[in-house]
Amino acid sequence: MRSTLSAVVAISLFLGFPRGINAAEPLHARIDQLIEAGHPDFKSLAAPLSSDAEFLRRVTLDLVGTLSTAVETRAFLADKDPQKRTKWIDQLLASEGYSRRMTQFLDVMLMERRPDSKVGRPLWEEYLRTSFQQNKPFDVLAREILSADGADTAKRAPAKFFLDRNFEPNQVTRDLGRLFLGRNLQCAQCHDSPLIDDYKQEHYYGLMAFINRSSLFPPGKGDTAAIGEKADGEVTFTSVFDKNKVQKSTGPKVITLKSIPDQKLEKGKEYKVAPSAPTVRPIPTYSRRELLASAIVESPWFSRNAANRFWAMVMGRGLVHPLDLDHKDNPPSHPELLDLLTKELVDHKFDVKWLLRELVLSKTYQRSSELSSSMKEPPADRYLVAVLKPLSPEQFVYALMQASGYTDSLRGIQKMPNETAVNTGLAAQVAPFVRMLGNQPGQAEEFQASLDQTLYLKHSAAIRNFISQRANCLLDRCGKLTDSKSIANELFLSVYTRPATADEAKDIADILKDAKDRPAVLSEVIWAMLASAEFRFNH
Amino acid sequence: MKTCHYSCQSADHALTRRAFLGASAVGSASMLGFGGMVAPAATKQLTSQQKRVVVIYLAGGASQLETWDPKPCTDTGGPFKAIPTAVTGTHISELLPMAAKRFNKFSIVRSVNTGINDHGQGKIHMLTGRRIEPAIEYPEIGAVAAKLLAKEGAGLPGHIQITPRGESGFSKKDATFLGPKFASVGLLDGKPPADLFRPMGLTDATDKEREALRLKLNERFAKSRKSAQTEAYTESYEQASQFFERQEVFNIEKEDPKTAERYGKHDFGRHMLLTRRLLEAGVTFVKVTHSNYDTHHENFDFHIEQLGEFDRPFAALIDDLTDRGMWESTLLVVMAEFGRTPKINDRYGRDHWGTAWSVALGGCGIKPGAAIGKTNANGTAVTDRQVHGGHLFHTYFRALGLDPTKNFYPNERPVPIADPKAEAITELLA
Repeated sequence: MRSTLSAVVAISLFLGFPRGINAAEPLHARIDQLIEAGHPDFKSLAAPLSSDAEFLRRVTLDLVGTLSTAVETRAFLADKDPQKRTKWIDQLLASEGYSRRMTQFLDVMLMERRPDSKVGRPLWEEYLRTSFQQNKPFDVLAREILSADGADTAKRAPAKFFLDRNFEPNQVTRDLGRLFLGRNLQCAQCHDSPLIDDYKQEHYYGLMAFINRSSLFPPGKGDTAAIGEKADGEVTFTSVFDKNKVQKSTGPKVITLKSIPDQKLEKGKEYKVAPSAPTVRPIPTYSRRELLASAIVESPWFSRNAANRFWAMVMGRGLVHPLDLDHKDNPPSHPELLDLLTKELVDHKFDVKWLLRELVLSKTYQRSSELSSSMKEPPADRYLVAVLKPLSPEQFVYALMQASGYTDSLRGIQKMPNETAVNTGLAAQVAPFVRMLGNQPGQAEEFQASLDQTLYLKHSAAIRNFISQRANCLLDRCGKLTDSKSIANELFLSVYTRPATADEAKDIADILKDAKDRPAVLSEVIWAMLASAEFRFNH
Repeated sequence: MKTCHYSCQSADHALTRRAFLGASAVGSASMLGFGGMVAPAATKQLTSQQKRVVVIYLAGGASQLETWDPKPCTDTGGPFKAIPTAVTGTHISELLPMAAKRFNKFSIVRSVNTGINDHGQGKIHMLTGRRIEPAIEYPEIGAVAAKLLAKEGAGLPGHIQITPRGESGFSKKDATFLGPKFASVGLLDGKPPADLFRPMGLTDATDKEREALRLKLNERFAKSRKSAQTEAYTESYEQASQFFERQEVFNIEKEDPKTAERYGKHDFGRHMLLTRRLLEAGVTFVKVTHSNYDTHHENFDFHIEQLGEFDRPFAALIDDLTDRGMWESTLLVVMAEFGRTPKINDRYGRDHWGTAWSVALGGCGIKPGAAIGKTNANGTAVTDRQVHGGHLFHTYFRALGLDPTKNFYPNERPVPIADPKAEAITELLA
C-alpha cells in the first residue's frame, strides 16, 4: 500500500501536477483543487455549495434519472446527519434506478436514437442493464461491443452497435472515432481535415481498415444478419485536394499508433469458413476485425474519451467540448484534470460506478447553480457555477411521472410491493416522449425547443393523462389537504424537490381562494409547474 | 452542426452574433437584424414590404418534355403538342394551358443540368443549392428564407411544408445549423399540427390562468438561473400560443365556394389554397408538394392527370397573389429533384434525368416571360446557358434583394449562403 502511494506520488510529480496536490487525497478533492486552480479569482467568484434541496434533485436525476418522492425529500431535508449527502449517493448507486439510468445514457450515446432493426430494444436494454447491475468495467463492455459479430444468438445484443448501422463502413468508421475515441473524423474522409490539423485522412482509413473486409451476411438488410469477413481487401484513398490523385493505403491502425501488418498465410489456408457460396458467412483464419476491440480499448484516446463523457454526464459539459472534437487546437478546459481522470479511470480498471461516485462527491459537482446578482454570465467552462442541464427525454418523462404522482399511483395499485410491475408500467409511457423530444437518428443528443414539442406539452393526451386524478397521485394527496400552505408544500416538494417560499405559498393560496373546482384548478397548477423551466432543467 | 451554447452578454457571444449576421453594418440594415447581407437598394423595399417564398415541389421528378420544354414531333417528344404562351415565341406543353396564359407573369429556365439522377440527392441539391458534402449539412431554402426574411412576432412559423397524404410531417433537420427555430413545421395533407387545438376539458379561461402561473414561475426562476436553452424553452411557449391564436388559417372551408372551385377540390388544390392563406397570414416560406411524378411507366397518362391537378391551382395562386398586390413581393418557384429522360422506355415511361431539364420561377425580383437557356432538338443535352441548383439558389436570394455571397457562421466557421462556385442567373433578375 505504501509503495503504491509513493509510486502514485512519484508519478504525479512526474506528470507535473501543481504543488499542493497530494496524490493520496481522494479523487474528488483533487478534482476540486484543479478546478479552483483554473480561475484566478475562483474563491471569490464561485457560487457557494448547493442547498440540500438543490443537491437532492440534481444528484437523483443524474444518477437514477428521476426525482425523489415527496416522502424521501422531506426526510432528506430534515435529516441532521452531516454525512447524509454521501449516504444518499451510495443509496442511489446501489439502487436498480442506477442501472436503468445508465442503460438509457449508454443507449443514447452509442445508438443515437437509430431505429431498432436487427437487435430488438428489450434484448439490448437487458444487456446494458445487466452490465451495469454487475458494474461491468467499461473497457470490458466496450470490448464486447467491438468484437461482437451477431452470429451467436446468445451474444447478439452487443452486436447492435454494428448491426443497427447496417454495418455501413463509413457510418461505423465515423462513429468508432466519435463515440469511442472522441474524434469526429468525418471531415477527414475525403481529405486531411482542412480545419483540424490533427485529423488526417489516414486516421479515418486506418480505422476503416479494421472493418473493410467485413460485411453483413446475408447481404441485404435481413433482420437476422450477422457479420462475416473476407480474407483479403485493402483500403485505398486519395485526397480530393490532390491534383495528382495519388492513391494511398493503410493497414488497420488507431489514429497515430502503428499500423498492424496482416499475418501472412499459406495459400489455401486463408479461411476457417470459406465463402463457398454467396449465402455462406465467411470466417477468415486471420481477422482484421478481431483486432479492433483491443486496438481501440488499449489506445490512450479510449480512456480519455470515457473519462470526458462520464464527466460531461454529471457536470453538464465535457472538459473537451464538444465531446467528439478532441484535438490539439481544441484543448480541454482543464488539461491536467482530464489527464488525472483518465489515469484514475484506468488505474481503477474502468470502474464507472467508482468514477461517478467521486465526481458527485466533489464540491465542483455540488456547487450551486444560482447566479449571483454581480455575475450574470459566468464563463461556460470554469465551473464557477453549476451548469444548467436540460433533462434528457427519459429523465423528463420519469420526472413527470414521479412529480405528478403517476408513479405513486402505480405503486399504490399493487397488492404487494412490486417494483417490477411499477417499472413496466413506467417504461410503457416512455416511447412517445422519446419520439417527441429525442433527436434525429444518428446525431448527438442535443436540446431543442421546437414548436411541436411545446404544443405536445400544452395539449397532448399523454400530459393530460399525468395530471388527471388517480389514487395516491399528487392531485389526490392535495385533495386530502385543507390549508393552502400544506398544499403549496406538497406541490413544491413533489414537483420541485423543495418547499414553497412564502411568496409561492401566497400565490397558491390566492389561486385556491377563488377556485370553484379545486381539483380542476390544482390539476392546471401542477401543469404550470411541470411546464416551467425550473422543471425542464436540471439545476 | 451543434448550436452554440453562448452566454448572452459575454464578449464571446457579441462577437459570434455579429459574425453570424455577416459582419457589422450600421444603419437601417443592421437594425433590421440582417447585418450586412441586404443589398442597400433593396433595404427600402424590405422595410416597406414583407417578402415571402413559395416552392411548388413536383415530387418524383416531373417531365420537362411534358411541361416547360416540349419537343413535339421528335423521337423523344411523345404524343403531346406544344402550345403558344402569353409571350410570343415561347411554347410550353399543351398539358399546361392555364400556365401558358400566364407566362407573362413568370419565367422558365430550360438548361438545368445537375448531373444527379437519384431522388434523395437530387432533392437535397435542389433544396439546398449545394452538392452533398460529408462534413456539413446545408439548410434548405425554406430555413434560409425564414432566417433571413421572417419578422419577429409573426405568430405563425416562418417555414412551413405541406405534404400530401402518406408522407411524414415534421422534419427537425432541414434547418441544420440555423437551428430548430427555422426548421419546417409539416402539415400532413394540409392539416394543422397534432396538438394545436385545445383538448376537451381545457377552457380558454383555464388555459390563460395556467399560462399566467407558468410565466410567473419562469420569471422567478430566471432571476437566478438563466441560459440560452432556458430562454429558448420559455420562448417556445410564446410561439405556440401565437400559433394557436392564428389557427383559423387552416379553415379553408371558410373560403368562398367559388374560390374552392378555382383551386379545385382535389388535395393539391386545397393545399394551394391553404398556401395562399398562410402567405396572407404572414408565413415567410411555404413548400407545397405534389407527388406521383416518378413516371417510369405510363409517363403520358400520369402527366395528363398530375398536370391537370397542377395547372389549375398554379394559375389560381398567381391570379390571387396578383389581385392582392402580393405578386411583386412573393417569389414562386416550381421545381423537382430532376426531370425525365428524353428516351421513352418500353413501358411508355421516362426515367430519372438530371442532365437537361427545367425549372419555373417568377414574382419578386424575377423578369417575367423569359425563357432562359436551350436544349437541343430532342432534349438530350443542354446547348446554351447551363446551370445547376447552385445558380438557381443564388438567383432566388438575389431576386429577394439579399446577397447570397454573405456568410452564416455556424460554430464560427464561415459558410456562404449559396455555393461560392456558382452565381445568379442575372438575365432572370428584374
